[in-house]
Amino acid sequence: MSQSMLETKKLCKTFGGLVALDNLDLAIEAGRITAIIGPNGAGKTTLFNLVAGVYPVSKGEILFRGTPLNNMATHKRTAMGIARTFQNVLLFGNMTALENVMTGQHVRSQYGFFEAALRLPKAHREEETVSLKATKYLNLVGLGMYAQQNALDLPLGQQKLLTIARALATEPHFLMLDEPGAGLNTLEKRALGDLVRRIRDMGISVLLVEHDMDLVMGLAERVVVLDSGQKIAEGTAAEIQRNQRVIAAYLGEEEEVE
Amino acid sequence: MFVRMQSKAGYLIAAALIVLLLLIPFDWFLVRYTTLMIFIGINTMVTVGLCLLMGYTGQVSLGQAAFFGMGAYFSAILSKSYDVNPWLAMLIGAIATGAFAYVIGYPIFRLRGNYLAMATLGLGIIMYILFRQLSQYTGGPDGMAGIPYLCIGGFDFDTKFRRYFLVWFFCLAILLVSQNIVRSRAGRALRAIHGSEAAADSLGINVAQFKVKIFVLSAVYASLAGSLFVHHLRFVSPQPFDFIASVMIVVMAVIGGLASIWGAIFGAATVRILSDELLLQFGSWDVIIYGLILMLVMIFMPQGLFVGLKEAYERLRLKYTQRGAEP
Repeated sequence: MSQSMLETKKLCKTFGGLVALDNLDLAIEAGRITAIIGPNGAGKTTLFNLVAGVYPVSKGEILFRGTPLNNMATHKRTAMGIARTFQNVLLFGNMTALENVMTGQHVRSQYGFFEAALRLPKAHREEETVSLKATKYLNLVGLGMYAQQNALDLPLGQQKLLTIARALATEPHFLMLDEPGAGLNTLEKRALGDLVRRIRDMGISVLLVEHDMDLVMGLAERVVVLDSGQKIAEGTAAEIQRNQRVIAAYLGEEEEVE
Repeated sequence: MFVRMQSKAGYLIAAALIVLLLLIPFDWFLVRYTTLMIFIGINTMVTVGLCLLMGYTGQVSLGQAAFFGMGAYFSAILSKSYDVNPWLAMLIGAIATGAFAYVIGYPIFRLRGNYLAMATLGLGIIMYILFRQLSQYTGGPDGMAGIPYLCIGGFDFDTKFRRYFLVWFFCLAILLVSQNIVRSRAGRALRAIHGSEAAADSLGINVAQFKVKIFVLSAVYASLAGSLFVHHLRFVSPQPFDFIASVMIVVMAVIGGLASIWGAIFGAATVRILSDELLLQFGSWDVIIYGLILMLVMIFMPQGLFVGLKEAYERLRLKYTQRGAEP
């Protein structure tokens, strides 16, 4: 039986009176592609933000490879192997594509102000490794030839791939992709699917939030459905497609649809 | 090939500027501008710290004159009233100012944008009041005179000629160090914070810590500049560290180019040359002309003089090569 990468136990998040996540019990298996789907406001992005540590948990627990995360700072979670991309891309517009990915190597290198200021050999050595690795990740997502372009000069599809390369550069065990397919055309989506499978084959567990059902059903080995902060279904893509509660949540109750 | 030519020209221009810098204080050259250049060097040191903080990290500070003043008063008081070796006084000043910036940095950088600007503004005003009111140490509004010169062994920095090289040695060292930082892992972290704090955070960058660290570095730069300032003038009073001084540092940083290290020299030079030399003949109209010039620079070179001039040079070069190729 495979160990779970991420576990949540009775996880709750409220914003004022609004309940975004309601007693969510979840276990994400290692080495798989898991998708979270659900209508708008179901709590998908909230779950991402709680796992990443953007805001604190209201109640309950998050375990990452068995370690409780509850009060850990975001940057420490990244060092432990959690990486993410953002729905609204958030690339660094003041850097080239390569520099964006190099920034992802931050937690995997150590040298600081002092070594940099005096250009000590340690800085040189680390900088070389960082740049080599960043180039590797840039090539992995197929953006090698755009290394020296400003990140925001790339078209949206490539910007999305660049954020994935940047996240991969943190050398994670667990990668969360927030709507990676949004705004991509069919061809780009197919390439994205191939990339996500290759990332999985590198031994990285992938969790994605996605609205494009074709992409999700073709890609995810496991699908979790959220609605109003609760888990209403979990299973393989085929199981989910037949699940009456899921159909109801997406299309409304059957009577109403006629 | 093109790129090679370009950088070659860049090196030539840089080399020419450095030679010019080295020759300025000689009698047969521009000796009359020695004092002006000393002030430009000192201002550059403060400005480059603000460029790192504002231009690279995206954090506003309207209180840099506080740190400039702290360095100045630490050096003045320790070396004059307590007979501490001026170099040691300078070091103590830099360490104390850095420690002070570290302590106030954590609470102050919980604020963002306008609120951060307000807080740093308050810091500048409070320090200015302290310089004025702690008169048993600082000499109050009248200031204190008779501060000793810096010296190494038996070599006194008692002439402008010597102090010119001292100041520019420090200034160029700071510029070089800053340049190295900007092009490093730490520099990328700073730019990432400017680009998107949420994304920087998600990549494992300790945002709060980096903001404080760069704030401390900018404070240390300003403190060193303040020490050199009082050992040059041999006199200190609160006036050069008031609110207007903080604003002038921001103006220098913006004019030179916020996101360029070497632009700091251009910013400091422009402001000093305008206010100390060129505009004197306009009498009380100088402020208006000064304002107009600043506006024009910002309209036509929004990224500052350094980037602006570089782009203008590129355009000119392109125009001439095209004209040569046409017939």
